[in-house]
Amino acid sequence: MKKEFLSIFLFIIPGVLLYTIFVVYAFGFSLSLSFFSWSGVGPKIFVGLQNYQKALVGTYSTEFFGALSHNVYFFVLVTILELGLGFLLALALATQLRGYRVFQTIVFIPNVVSLVMVGFIWGMLLNPQMGLINQFLRSVGLGDFAKPWLGDHNIALTVIILVNVWRNAGFYILVLLAAILNIPPEFFEAAYIDGATNLKITWHIVLPLVKPTFQILTILLFIWSFNTFDLIYALEGVQAGPFRSTDVLGTLFYRTAFGGLGSSCMDMGLGATVVTFIFAIVFPVSILYVYLIERRS
Amino acid sequence: MFRLRLFSKGLIYLILIIYSILVFIPLSILALNSFKDLREIFQKPFSLPSYFRVENYIVAWKQANLTRAYLNSFSVSIVSVLGVLLISSMIAYILARYDFPFRRILYLYIISGLALPARLAIIPIYLLLRDAALLDTRMGLMLVYMATRIPFSVFILKHFMEAVPVEIEDSARIDGASPWKIYSLIMLPLSRSALVVVAIFVFVGIWNDFFFPLILIDSRSKETIPLAISVFFGEYGHQWDLLSTALWLAIFPVIIIFFIMSKQFIKGMTQGAIK
Repeated sequence: MKKEFLSIFLFIIPGVLLYTIFVVYAFGFSLSLSFFSWSGVGPKIFVGLQNYQKALVGTYSTEFFGALSHNVYFFVLVTILELGLGFLLALALATQLRGYRVFQTIVFIPNVVSLVMVGFIWGMLLNPQMGLINQFLRSVGLGDFAKPWLGDHNIALTVIILVNVWRNAGFYILVLLAAILNIPPEFFEAAYIDGATNLKITWHIVLPLVKPTFQILTILLFIWSFNTFDLIYALEGVQAGPFRSTDVLGTLFYRTAFGGLGSSCMDMGLGATVVTFIFAIVFPVSILYVYLIERRS
Repeated sequence: MFRLRLFSKGLIYLILIIYSILVFIPLSILALNSFKDLREIFQKPFSLPSYFRVENYIVAWKQANLTRAYLNSFSVSIVSVLGVLLISSMIAYILARYDFPFRRILYLYIISGLALPARLAIIPIYLLLRDAALLDTRMGLMLVYMATRIPFSVFILKHFMEAVPVEIEDSARIDGASPWKIYSLIMLPLSRSALVVVAIFVFVGIWNDFFFPLILIDSRSKETIPLAISVFFGEYGHQWDLLSTALWLAIFPVIIIFFIMSKQFIKGMTQGAIK
């Protein structure tokens, strides 16, 4: 018995240590840092709730709420587009017509490309003077529609969201496809015997049965949307231009804690406060995610 | 499954083909540009290259230091994946097979990490590595990747191992095999399919990761591919011929490997997030 405890201990200890140090301890430390003012070196100065005050009502609040609202917009639009498009294409693939496996592979290609690199590819395509999109519009006589896609503060964030959809939609298509193909074929047979149309089947059979998958995907989209960073970094830099119109909590955090070009102050305490807010928003939803996937297994 | 009339079949093919074109256009333009010189990129953006400048590849590969970036990405990803597979499968095995006090608590403790997005802990991670003199090292990056992937890997592997029949292990135990032998010679081979799912999911995530190298790596000699490309973009601004070629060299091997192993990739990357 004693020997058994020893082997249990030896089996779990490397992973438990690593996880405790770099995840659990790091998280706790990050939360506690939000009560300090600290540039990363020298003494930490305890400032109580001052960082929170700064973020919510003080000098920092305009930037903070701007970034936060962009995260919300990002989440809403990305969810509608990626789940909508995902479901439509999943339905198309679920017909399993000849060659559907080839299409299945094709739709997933963008997903294996790193997000920053997707950003750079689209950065070139969307370039106002030399980018292919505007060149194409001009060459077919639609030059009036040519725009500085990433330089117009009214549309830049939406354009970035569309690039995100191009990169990620394949994932949602295939997850939803797997959920649809999981439905027992007898359900379809029975419905056809009753004379149901494909539209009716989709609405009354497929949608209800795929609903749990939609729930989990929405939760994942929520978590990922509040952690978005790479694409905005690649397309707009850490200043999240034009005029901060594409700033999200991720880029705001980066500028604050690690100092971006042009922002001279480096404040890890205030940065940790931004992280605490992201955490407070995401954590309840993440717990729900863990609960749901744990229940599924 | 759905039954279709001829008309709807045509419509569905049309939708799928249009979508595929949208996927391919940006990638093929990049591929074409990688063979052009700067003038041709701007003057004849839509045409095939007048002459395939293979020399672009050599220049861009050298300028962007892709040999180093590939080696770094490979070593960091592979060591991290192997490391996390080992330590997570050990924990998963214990959780699946042994009954001891705090077992449930240990499990919840570890999978609660699924609810903590790793990048939110970046400041303390940065400080920890700095104090351990592991900042700007591949080792530091590997430790962080391993630690942050433990919850996911334990979760998948534990559920898989619980479903493996226990009889073989019992007979080995009666023959006096040690826990390590049973784990490494019986359980690990039987868990192969779950290990592959975890390996692919974790590998792709690390290979494509940009955030951690951006903050934890400083010297050019330790850059992984996404970071190296990003720095290259900062340095070469509008030299689109070089940039396109380097970018293409960074992504097309991945796409080729994906085509060869698409089934495993798709299974790993979709089940990984959802199961």
